[in-house]
Amino acid sequence: MLSAQSLTKRYGSTTALDSFTVELAPGIIGLVGANGAGKSTFLRILLGLTRPTSGTVSVLGHDVQQHAMEVRALVGYLPEHDCLPPEVSGTDFVTHIGQISGLPFAAARERAAESLRHVGLHEERYRLIGSYSTGMKQRVKLAQAIVHDPRLLLLDEPTNGLDPEGRDEMLALVERTGREFGIAIIVTSHLLGEIERVCDFLVAIESGALQYAGPVSAFTQKTERLAVEIDDDVPAFAERLRAAGLDVDGSGRMLHVTVREGVYDTVRDIAAELGAPLARMELTRQRLEDLFRAGAGGFKS
Amino acid sequence: MTEAARAEGTIYDLGYQRYKGQRLGRGNAIRTLFGYSFRTAFGLGRGERAKLAPFAIVLFCFMPAVVRVGVAMATGQVALINYAQHLEFTAFWLALYAASQAPELIVTDRQFGTLALYLSRPLRATDYMVAKFCALTAALLILTLGPQLFLFSGKLLVAEELFPAFRAEWRTLLPIAGGSIGASLLFASIGLALSSLASKRNYANAAVIGFFLLTSAIVAMFYSITSGDLRRYVVLAHPVWVMNGFVNWLFDVEARRRSVVGRADLPGEYYLYVILGVCAIAMTALFLQYRNRDE
Repeated sequence: MLSAQSLTKRYGSTTALDSFTVELAPGIIGLVGANGAGKSTFLRILLGLTRPTSGTVSVLGHDVQQHAMEVRALVGYLPEHDCLPPEVSGTDFVTHIGQISGLPFAAARERAAESLRHVGLHEERYRLIGSYSTGMKQRVKLAQAIVHDPRLLLLDEPTNGLDPEGRDEMLALVERTGREFGIAIIVTSHLLGEIERVCDFLVAIESGALQYAGPVSAFTQKTERLAVEIDDDVPAFAERLRAAGLDVDGSGRMLHVTVREGVYDTVRDIAAELGAPLARMELTRQRLEDLFRAGAGGFKS
Repeated sequence: MTEAARAEGTIYDLGYQRYKGQRLGRGNAIRTLFGYSFRTAFGLGRGERAKLAPFAIVLFCFMPAVVRVGVAMATGQVALINYAQHLEFTAFWLALYAASQAPELIVTDRQFGTLALYLSRPLRATDYMVAKFCALTAALLILTLGPQLFLFSGKLLVAEELFPAFRAEWRTLLPIAGGSIGASLLFASIGLALSSLASKRNYANAAVIGFFLLTSAIVAMFYSITSGDLRRYVVLAHPVWVMNGFVNWLFDVEARRRSVVGRADLPGEYYLYVILGVCAIAMTALFLQYRNRDE
């Protein structure tokens, strides 16, 4: 579906993408990375909106640089920032975008109504967009991206600016669009949790370089940590864990230990041996930022 | 699904439908954007407030023509209906329209981020620009050509016999159309080129109307302190005088001797060249602005 070969994009002296190579099959694909990691640049290159400094990329069998128009006709795009005119009604705007995307008027009208219904906008769709809540606007953005029945959806931070409830709803919509409608999706987020919830495949990017590309489940295993809280003699405890062959880091009374087969037993045994007061054991996740900061290159597939 | 729910008229969710119909290309996208922008230029398909300014200006542009036809009908004096002066009377409104609606067409797309959506569709930045330019020019034609066609029909109606009057009069349709197109291109060019530099609609409104008022004032000042040949050419820097000179040339009327354009007595082609030049500069400015938009 998508193939990028040593894609590089430089803006002056800053490198937004650095020899980025990735092959993706249809599905719901999460693109994670901290803000400014190069996610949006990658999406813009896929649409032919930004020209890569070097490297090639093909989407749905079309070379993007040579056939940008063909690619755009098959792709739906939800930009990260605001993109809706406030003085037009939801239904008129989505119809208009449908027409721009190649649908004849009658079909655009019909599909606009359908798309807006899919995203959960009903009577409100006749109101001016300016009167919508952030959540409703985000839904209109999704509706305009699917109005022309694309084969691939590019969603740039679709949960941006939404409250927790709105995030849940948007993620459910993204998941439904991918699973029930059978549209391939690339969704970006700086929140790993969101990606894990809806995606089957994950691409992690940091400073423009590929950190990980593979199934979400495998990535989850790599990033899981066992948090161990002890009330006494932390350094000695950590030392014993290391001696047992575990990766340990942490500060204060909290230690973070790599999760692997039998780790719970190991911790329990050491605690018993040292007579250390074990206060808590909890399975936690590293934050994405910490992950990349800690082990640059350490999470490559 | 229960019988009760069915009886209440439950809407069935048919699930997602794939689109298997026709997909049109770039030409369709350009035409769609042109039509949509033309409607936007009059606030159609938008809220009530968006219609206020364009509709008021249309009214003011038609007013002189309506009054003339009315008076001509009441007094029976066909000679009162004069095309060559019409655009001059409405020049202020044309400038105001360009200042109010050119930003509406292009600045709002940038201000609200909609441009990113357009450019992610099968539509090139230059297509976008061409559609917008044509839309504003077409909208201005309603304001320039419309009232003159009204004058034209009025003249025919005031005449005693319709067909002989039409036969005698139809040739004036050419300069009417030419003058309207020239004026529309001139105002659209200035409006769009200046708007393309502004980041917010209000700034663009102010920039365009400011441009018309300032150039008029500055050129008028230069006109009063210069003399001889230089003074004649200063006329070419004033948008409204250029429009008047162009229209006079097309109608082949001896510009009123005391008017600025009359006294300058420049060859009519010069006004055409200035209009085409302004058009070319504006197009180039727009191309440059939009070409590098997303690199």
